[in-house]
Amino acid sequence: MIEIQDLTFIYKDEKKPALQDIRLTIPEGGFLGVIGPAGAGKTTLARAVSGMIPHHYTGDYYGSVTVNGMDTVETSLEDISRLVGMVFQDVDSQIISPVVEDELLYGLENFGIPREEIPQRIDEALQKVGIADLRERAVGSLSGGQRQKVAIASIIALRPRILVLDEPTGELDPRSSRQVFSLLKELNEEQRITVIIIEQKIMLLCEFARQLAVLSEGKIVRQGDTRDVLAHAEELEALGVNCPRVTTLSRAVSVKTGEEQPVCLNLDEAEAMVRRLIS
Amino acid sequence: MHNLFQYVPGNSIIHRMNPITKIFLTIVICIAAFVSGNLLFLAGLLAVDLLIGFIAGIPEKTLTIFKGLLKIAIFLFVLQILLVRGGTPVFWIITDEGLLTAARVVLRLVIVCMPLALVLAVTRVTDLTNSLVQVLHVPYKYAFTLSTAIRFIPQFLEEMSGIMEAQTARGVAFDKAKGLKKFSMILPLCAPLLISSVRKTDLTAAAAEVRGFRLRTRQSGYKRYPFTILDLGAAAFCLLLLAAAILL
Ligand SMILES: Nc1ncnc2c1ncn2[C@@H]1O[C@H](COP(=O)(O)OP(=O)(O)OP(=O)(O)O)[C@@H](O)[C@H]1O
Ligand SMILES: [Mg+2]
Repeated sequence: MIEIQDLTFIYKDEKKPALQDIRLTIPEGGFLGVIGPAGAGKTTLARAVSGMIPHHYTGDYYGSVTVNGMDTVETSLEDISRLVGMVFQDVDSQIISPVVEDELLYGLENFGIPREEIPQRIDEALQKVGIADLRERAVGSLSGGQRQKVAIASIIALRPRILVLDEPTGELDPRSSRQVFSLLKELNEEQRITVIIIEQKIMLLCEFARQLAVLSEGKIVRQGDTRDVLAHAEELEALGVNCPRVTTLSRAVSVKTGEEQPVCLNLDEAEAMVRRLIS
Repeated sequence: MHNLFQYVPGNSIIHRMNPITKIFLTIVICIAAFVSGNLLFLAGLLAVDLLIGFIAGIPEKTLTIFKGLLKIAIFLFVLQILLVRGGTPVFWIITDEGLLTAARVVLRLVIVCMPLALVLAVTRVTDLTNSLVQVLHVPYKYAFTLSTAIRFIPQFLEEMSGIMEAQTARGVAFDKAKGLKKFSMILPLCAPLLISSVRKTDLTAAAAEVRGFRLRTRQSGYKRYPFTILDLGAAAFCLLLLAAAILL
């Protein structure tokens, strides 16, 4: 479980808080989507959960972040990292090694995973992300999307209990993006891994995330179950967050018919609504 | 240019050598090049450089590096023969001593630079740092700094050409400029590039930290780097080179 209490953070030498009065609880096994315009503080929130704030990025820090009962200020970054795995927004900076296989090895070696277990973990992670054929390749020779998958695989191999992903599908095509989300869903449902994903592709978030948090100018303007948050579509649109067409449709129907329709999150639900209305 | 420093996968005897042996061989070649002034021997060393590249199965890359160095070498050669004043004149202001010194300087330059570039082509940087830490007990912090620096060279070049492309699109004629002119056009671009690089390295440091950078010990590496008969052979070859350098 992750508990963020009244967190305010100002980066060193900055004046404006990057995060302000954040209050957020993510239950164990939760699947939270974070969305918001550029500069809203999404990355900063991810850094706070993964302990990089305050351990790597210093500044004025108020409030607290507790991860599975550990206060991130009092716990060493290494102990937090064993629990929380983070995929960076800037993949090129995250990848340390020049060869794919070595990138996966790095964390496994450092955290002292037993030697016998290492090859299997690497195979599995590469397989899950669908890049088993890239194992020996030089990272410099890969496309942006392939590098993104390498970064994800290198974190999955560590089997963290909590996964934080900062726009991990930015360079991916629609099919690969969906694959990443399906993988996260699998990890979330089968191993009860908590997933926090920052994502601009709202359609995917609606389909996979159980909870949404909307950030703007360092504040959470809305949070809760995905359906409830989407019921405030006008508010999201005003912030520059586009809502999926099915959501817009169900809202338009509500307005037109004068009776409140439940918010649709995917095509199936929209279809069901239309069928119900016709009959 | 970007992949000049990139690792080329392979299974040649050069690939399979212990990374430490490769570094040792590089150093021995450098020492030999400076101990001996014999032009024939230096030419021989150059041949050894090229041969290593060919045995490693990367002839094209070897020749690309060689050609690149040759350009600098010719420039230096001309500079030297014009500058050195001692000895008897052979032609115009060029002296025999000038020619000899110039030839030595140029040969040495190429001999020394070739293996440095080749080592990176036939060794994974990870193996290089891991073996430095495991075998030579180099503190991991320094090894990491080295590997990060090497890692950022291609990225730096890539960004540089990105910026140059953007400038060209705005009408700056990089391609028409040559030599010093081109250099003076590129120089102002270095500052913003350096700043963005520093930012990137800070992120990379963070990425290493959240994956247990500080927990890493000498024994952490998964791969081991034992010395084999190959390395023994290479060591014998090194001794031979050194002996020849001293004798000739
Ligand atoms: N390392 C840093 N040092 C100082 N200020 C920073 C740093 N990183 C981010 N900021 C500032 O904090 C604020 C929030 O940035 P953040 O990166 O968290 O936004 P974001 O929502 O992730 O944006 P984007 O969608 O562009 O990734 C911005 O005003 C930014 O300038
Ligand atoms: Mg961000």
